[in-house]
Amino acid sequence: MSDIAPRQRIPSCVQWRDWDGEIVAYNDRTGDTHHFADLAAWLFRKLAAAPASAEAIADAAAGEIELPARIDRGAAIARTLELFARLDLLEPAGS
Amino acid sequence: MKTRPVSTLALRFGPFAASLETPFAALVDGLKRLYPPRSFIPAADAFYDFRVAIAPGRGAHRWLKPQARFLLDGESPFKPLPADQALPMFEWGLNYAIAAQAHQYLVVHAAAIERNGKVAILPGAPGAGKSTLTAALVQRGWRLLSDELALIRPQDAQVVPLARPINLKNGSIALMRAYAPDAVFSAETHDTAKGTVALMRAPASSIARSEEAAPIGWIVFPRWQKDAAPRLEPWSRAAGLMEIAHNAMNYSVHGGAGFALLADIFARAGCYRFVYCKLDHAVAAFAGLAA
Repeated sequence: MSDIAPRQRIPSCVQWRDWDGEIVAYNDRTGDTHHFADLAAWLFRKLAAAPASAEAIADAAAGEIELPARIDRGAAIARTLELFARLDLLEPAGS
Repeated sequence: MKTRPVSTLALRFGPFAASLETPFAALVDGLKRLYPPRSFIPAADAFYDFRVAIAPGRGAHRWLKPQARFLLDGESPFKPLPADQALPMFEWGLNYAIAAQAHQYLVVHAAAIERNGKVAILPGAPGAGKSTLTAALVQRGWRLLSDELALIRPQDAQVVPLARPINLKNGSIALMRAYAPDAVFSAETHDTAKGTVALMRAPASSIARSEEAAPIGWIVFPRWQKDAAPRLEPWSRAAGLMEIAHNAMNYSVHGGAGFALLADIFARAGCYRFVYCKLDHAVAAFAGLAA
């Protein structure tokens, strides 16, 4: 079993636009269109730019995105990644 | 409603032609009131996109309360309606036929009007005032491309005209009669699923330019609100695209190409929300938009 954190990315079958900090994305696998703002838009942009592990994303988020103090950054990122996975917007990128 | 031997009409509207067979005299008379003579084409000359019949209802019920059935290529996609609703039924049925079959376009449930060479797309949930606003604007200098279904051509993202009668409901009918006293209206039809409805003839100047497509300059989401001051404000393009995708009748048919088309449109067009109460205020706001 590998101890390297799996990296994930937005698959190439997803078309997307980044307008005024919001993302709108079309997933050719599912035929669904999605609209993301705030943390979800940041996370989508990050994973579309380069594959990343959840840990690497959490590290980057600490320096790049502000969230209200009441929100647990790590938990919010985990929930958003789960959402992306449910929407079939993630694929493994290898190590 | 009186019937007579079956009439066969051939009607051209925008890029489409339809044949209609019906024995309902009031329907034929209503269409001749709402469509200009040039819309009626020799039956033998046409290739028909839609073969429509508005036929009498069947069964014993027809003796108690005459009914009309909408048939598209011989199939009946709707339940029969009272025969006095044959005219709006024909118009609603054409909308159904276009939305179900005209996949060479991205068909969006929205009005489309043009001024100074650019089209404003007006999507609107029921009750948003889309048709009333459209009816007012086309009486004040805007060209009608469509009241109900905007046809977006994938090849160049332009809107293809479909200038047909405008559907008005309930209080909007008297409002528009007063606002546009020279406009031509159908008789009112009462007790429909939408309440009382009437159709307003498309302006002759719009019909005369029914082959001039135009690019989209603005997407405006209107909302009528009692006593509201007019407010036209920029809105999120991402949210606007989601709304248009939701309002597109055949977005799923176009798939990724449909998304790319809308993304291209939203990248270039302005996206706004518009709240209004009075039509004159709305006309002024739209004139400012097009200036």
